[in-house]
Amino acid sequence: MRVCAPKFQIPEKTTIKTMDKPIYSNSAPPPPAKLSPGDQSLRERELAELSEMKARLEEANGVLEVRINAKTRALRELAANLEKEMKERTEELRRKVAESENSRVALMNMLEDMEDLRRRAEEEREKTMAIIANFSDGLMFFDARDRLALVNPRIENYFSINKTESKNMIGGRISDIVRFAPMSPLGEVFAGSLERVSRRELSLNEKTVFEVSVLEVAGRAGKIGTLLIIHDISREKMVEKMKTEFVSIAAHQLRTPISAIKWTLRMILDGDLGPINDEQREFLDKTYKSNERMINLINDLLNVTRIEEGRQVYNSVVADIEEVVRGLIANYEDMARQKNLNLSFEKIAPVIPTVKIDLEKIKLVASNLIENSLKYTPAGGKISVTLGEEDGNAMVEVIDTGIGIPAEQQDRIFTKYFRSANAIKAETEGTGLGLFIAKNIVEAHGGKIRFVSEPGRATKFSFVLPPAESD
Amino acid sequence: MAQFASLGAASYNNRKGMEKILLIEDEELIIRLLSKKLAAIGYDVSLAMNGEEGLEKIKQIIPDLILLDIVMPRMGGFEVMAEMKKDEKIADIPVIIISNSGQPLELERAKELGAVDWLVKTEFDPKEVAEKIQKYIRPTD
Repeated sequence: MRVCAPKFQIPEKTTIKTMDKPIYSNSAPPPPAKLSPGDQSLRERELAELSEMKARLEEANGVLEVRINAKTRALRELAANLEKEMKERTEELRRKVAESENSRVALMNMLEDMEDLRRRAEEEREKTMAIIANFSDGLMFFDARDRLALVNPRIENYFSINKTESKNMIGGRISDIVRFAPMSPLGEVFAGSLERVSRRELSLNEKTVFEVSVLEVAGRAGKIGTLLIIHDISREKMVEKMKTEFVSIAAHQLRTPISAIKWTLRMILDGDLGPINDEQREFLDKTYKSNERMINLINDLLNVTRIEEGRQVYNSVVADIEEVVRGLIANYEDMARQKNLNLSFEKIAPVIPTVKIDLEKIKLVASNLIENSLKYTPAGGKISVTLGEEDGNAMVEVIDTGIGIPAEQQDRIFTKYFRSANAIKAETEGTGLGLFIAKNIVEAHGGKIRFVSEPGRATKFSFVLPPAESD
Repeated sequence: MAQFASLGAASYNNRKGMEKILLIEDEELIIRLLSKKLAAIGYDVSLAMNGEEGLEKIKQIIPDLILLDIVMPRMGGFEVMAEMKKDEKIADIPVIIISNSGQPLELERAKELGAVDWLVKTEFDPKEVAEKIQKYIRPTD
């Protein structure tokens, strides 16, 4: 849009003429006539007066002319100023119009962008909703006030509820929701409020097992809600159960011939079945030891399956841990001597707290640690077992001058079937189950197991057991 | 199997005559090895290859102690013990379980049925079984 300034101009040279005729007259001048002498002097006087008047008029005229010219100049200046101002205003107006045009375009662009954003947000929302609806896990989203805001169809499917029932739950708290019969199994996980849980198992029936997790959803401004995720692990559970059952059956079946071999060899070695020569004894003794290793391996597998099935039952009794550890050391003295290792025991605290333990299981823990040290300490090395006290707990430590655990593999040392690279090199035999079992047993007793290791130099494993509660 | 230690059986100690042990077990090699060992020590050993035969022999012989396997054809060890409970003449005979298994729940059940000990075969050898038996009955010298 263009706005034009109106043209306002005064001619450059404008002079108001006053010289030729009087500027002010009411009538035309009298016509000339023949005059008497008297009249002549009168006429001369009149003429003189007239001429004087004329001179005065001319003078006045001059003054007027000056004034008018001045006025004219002033007017011209004013006009020029006005014109300038008008130009400036016009320019400003043009600029403003241009600006407003720009603004309009920018606004249109913004509106378009916003529309685009809105459309994209809508698309994203639809996408998100589609993902939530088709998600393979059941999802329930609770808003910042812990009220149910969203349920996906998988939940309806898992808990056999229809769309209406699902809609009716919206707005309710978890405590309201678990009162609805089909959803009541969730009550096992939540005692009234939406506490944070991670991978808690929930058995709906014999065949259906869910894994429930609750996580807080936070935006930039803080918590926006809580997401409850229900994952169906029935298949994994079934496979796990089958695997465990297989291992359990296989291990038990293996035990039958292995125990027969053990008993036969033992009786031959003990001379119960007649005399044998030295060479026969040597071979039979080695065979017996191999068989013992097989027994240990089977026992490890069985222990692992029990841990995994949660069937590991602990028969805890109040016990003197010193007696347990001393007894074990005695069992390993021969082996240490044969490997030229110095195996020692020391009680480093005057009073050791009494503990309530499953004797067989804790013996297994200490045996696993001592056997590891015996296996992975080169000849001439030292293994010291100490019994002490730490923060009111009984503490057993097994310290060796062995090959150590490589730093980069230390975080995996308690993982099932894991064996460190240098351990495999040093000793081909080993299941990688010993420390996994030890950790599980110690933790089931409410204790802790830990280690420090300097690869190539030394390793220290420690486990603490809480004191027996005085009844 | 600490939880079984020293349950009952004291009255069976130091009886006159040869102490009678009944071995109920389906594994032939185990039977032969164990009976040889126990006979050598000085016990009177009788044998049964399954639970049913075992129960008959218990009633017939009235042994001083029973070595009983759990998994056997015809009648398992638990059933034998349950049957023994019904007959007061044999209800109190000490029973030591010898088994390849040793699951905690099985141990619980055996204890409830009155077994005095549970030995996992892979963890003991015949000599150690004999030593265990001597806790409950002494062989005749």
